[in-house]
Amino acid sequence: MPSVEALKEKYPPGDFGVWIIIYVELLTFGLFFVGYAFSRRENIEMFNSSQLMLNQTSGFINTFILITSSYFVAKGVALMRTMREQNQAAANAEASRWLKFAIACGVAFLFIKFSEFYYIFGEGITLSTNKFFMFYLLLTMFHFMHVFLGTIILFNVHQRTKAAAYTPEDYRGFESGASYWHMVDLLWIVLFPLVYIIR
Amino acid sequence: MKKILEIVWIVLVLLTIFAYLLGYLELIDTSLVAVLLGTTFIKGALVSDCFMGLRNVALRYRIIPIIWLFFVIILIAIAYYF
Repeated sequence: MPSVEALKEKYPPGDFGVWIIIYVELLTFGLFFVGYAFSRRENIEMFNSSQLMLNQTSGFINTFILITSSYFVAKGVALMRTMREQNQAAANAEASRWLKFAIACGVAFLFIKFSEFYYIFGEGITLSTNKFFMFYLLLTMFHFMHVFLGTIILFNVHQRTKAAAYTPEDYRGFESGASYWHMVDLLWIVLFPLVYIIR
Repeated sequence: MKKILEIVWIVLVLLTIFAYLLGYLELIDTSLVAVLLGTTFIKGALVSDCFMGLRNVALRYRIIPIIWLFFVIILIAIAYYF
């Protein structure tokens, strides 16, 4: 009787290269998160008063959007894992529909974040306004770029599902794109309470 | 077990609503920050395990995002409380 551990996959889903990228991104953002937390300690009042300029509701909506998009992508991956040769076209078509919803969520996130940046910059705030906004802009703009790239990746995966290009033997590209997208979600899950809520 | 993704999504949404209400209703205080960080850890672990699918992967890979999350949350808590 094999142990539970022996029944598990040896490697994470997708190409191993994407996981190297994910680990590096987690480390980089992790340093930023901790840097923000310790900088806040030095000037709590300034961080709290600057934080009042942020729109918590748009932060909440964006969290909801990313969580939901991650769910859509996970549904697509689940379809790939249960796909058989007999239903390859149907599984690709259904996964393509889930990805369409996920891409729409990505675009909605970018739109809301862009309008938030438009407001912040309209108020004359820049990276050098104070330490809070330096961290806020660096973290959120860096994350914005990741969502942008993730949306493009999902679009490419979607195009391949439309062409029914994934097979029961090879859907690693789908898993790689999905893993990257979930990382973007994971980062925002920490960023939202840290920057928008904790005071 | 088939509905695991749906259950995870509902838990994530509920915990996000909880976090938002803490901030929006200005309920957040020193003790609730610990609760908020705890729920953030749970949310991150759910995304890593269930959405990324790492719960079906060898422990040495499954544990990496969890360790990352643990240290980030702990260090944020240390910066907040000490």
